[in-house]
Amino acid sequence: MPLVKRWIEVYPVTDFISIGMLLSVVAMSSIRRVESSLKAYVINSWLLAGLVAAFAVWLSIPHLYAAAFFIIAGKCVLIPFFLRKIIRELKVAREAEPYVSTPVALIICFALVVLVYSFISEGVFVAGAAKTVLKVSVSIILISLFTMITRRKAVTQVMGLLFMENGLFLAGFSLTYGMPTLIELGVLFDMLMGVMILGLFLTQIKKSFVSVDLDKLTNLKG
Amino acid sequence: MLNLQVLIIVIFSPLLQGVIKKLKALAQGRVGARVLQPYWDLLRLFKKEMVVPESASWVFRAAPFIVFASALAAGMMLPVLSAGDPVKSFRMGDIIALLYTLALGRFFLTLAGLDAGTAFGGEGSSREATVAILVEPTMALAIFTAAIAAGSTSIAAISRSTDILQSPAHVLAFAAFFVALIAETGRIPVDNPDTHLELTMIHEGMVLEYSGGYLALLELAHFMKQMLLFTLAIDLFFPYGISQGGATPYAPALAVAYYALKLLVLAAAMAFTESSRAKMRFFQLPSLLGGAFVLALLSIITFVMLGR
Repeated sequence: MPLVKRWIEVYPVTDFISIGMLLSVVAMSSIRRVESSLKAYVINSWLLAGLVAAFAVWLSIPHLYAAAFFIIAGKCVLIPFFLRKIIRELKVAREAEPYVSTPVALIICFALVVLVYSFISEGVFVAGAAKTVLKVSVSIILISLFTMITRRKAVTQVMGLLFMENGLFLAGFSLTYGMPTLIELGVLFDMLMGVMILGLFLTQIKKSFVSVDLDKLTNLKG
Repeated sequence: MLNLQVLIIVIFSPLLQGVIKKLKALAQGRVGARVLQPYWDLLRLFKKEMVVPESASWVFRAAPFIVFASALAAGMMLPVLSAGDPVKSFRMGDIIALLYTLALGRFFLTLAGLDAGTAFGGEGSSREATVAILVEPTMALAIFTAAIAAGSTSIAAISRSTDILQSPAHVLAFAAFFVALIAETGRIPVDNPDTHLELTMIHEGMVLEYSGGYLALLELAHFMKQMLLFTLAIDLFFPYGISQGGATPYAPALAVAYYALKLLVLAAAMAFTESSRAKMRFFQLPSLLGGAFVLALLSIITFVMLGR
């Protein structure tokens, strides 16, 4: 274990993992296929779990191990499982025409990252090692918010919400080295319930409006 | 002396092509041609008679030599096995010169495609120019990330200063570079290297009118460019194990082993990407290459903001 600790110190593992998370959220914002963006979410969650585990090893904080375990159980296994089921039931393979084209979306993502990097350049942080992680987490929150705004299908908006939750977790984590396990468990459970309820909700939308395209909710039913 | 490393690229680039083809065949469950097949193909082409279209001008005859010479000149700027000591490596040339030398070759190839006046040649040339516009900035930015990190635009100096993907910025830059590499070598999501029976061909469209020795020269130049770009990727992002001059007697052997291993890994990655993707529609390319461009931009901004 001391060897691993030393390795994490020498090699900026946390920086690499957080950049990986940024990469997956940028990928999500440009991917049209729903299945593929779910895959991006799973990768993002695994990286989050890895980051928490790395901090747990590095700083020897036992309750972070529990947090990493809960992330794996909830975000890498259960939520993707439910989402995959929902996607299969609703038969939404592709996102229909987002409001902005892929290149424009990518450029906007880049602009958001630049904005975040330039505004959070200096500051007092409770946890010193987490400077990069905080920047990346705020970028993730903004990019996923942007994705939620520009997508039409309800499923992809849910996906954006999930990414945003990952970003929020990362932001909280980078400032405090993890909230108490009980609160983390609560948030995780909320997300899980949220996904299940949204699943039911989407099925209802599909039943009454035939499509899950949210633009069509304003149509009058005949 | 250091510049003569280009001979390695000239001699072994058809072998690399053969290895990629073999790996691709294996990934797709075929037996595939022998690894040495590209050499025999080149030899056969050199023996064949050349047919030159009546409508062609001097550009058509000059282009193969210029394309080959530009690949050769670009190769001379690259440290393949040895980056030399700090003094000698300054004579090796830098990345901006390398990019523009390659662009010269590309320019004459597109001209030659237009020169014969056939529909396919013109198509191929206009597509090549479009792809080039999208790819070159990406490649330049990805390279500049490595250059800023090393504080020098000399490739040898860069490869002496880093190790293996030393910072997050390098990871992003390599991701962008890899996409650019796929486009530059004419591989599957962008162009299909296996056939000239497709209406979407890019490289094959431009060389369609060539035959015999000219075609062999162009093909060899294409193989060389591919190996050259692989070597550039290795030099910029994974130079670990490259000989730095004046080392222990077993260092050259070690450098050869590392180089071969890294090439094999890159070739396998290429073969895997090619087998697992379908070719993209040409008008969808801007979103792929634009994505790579944004990655390259992110890599630079990450480097500037994180300071490493």
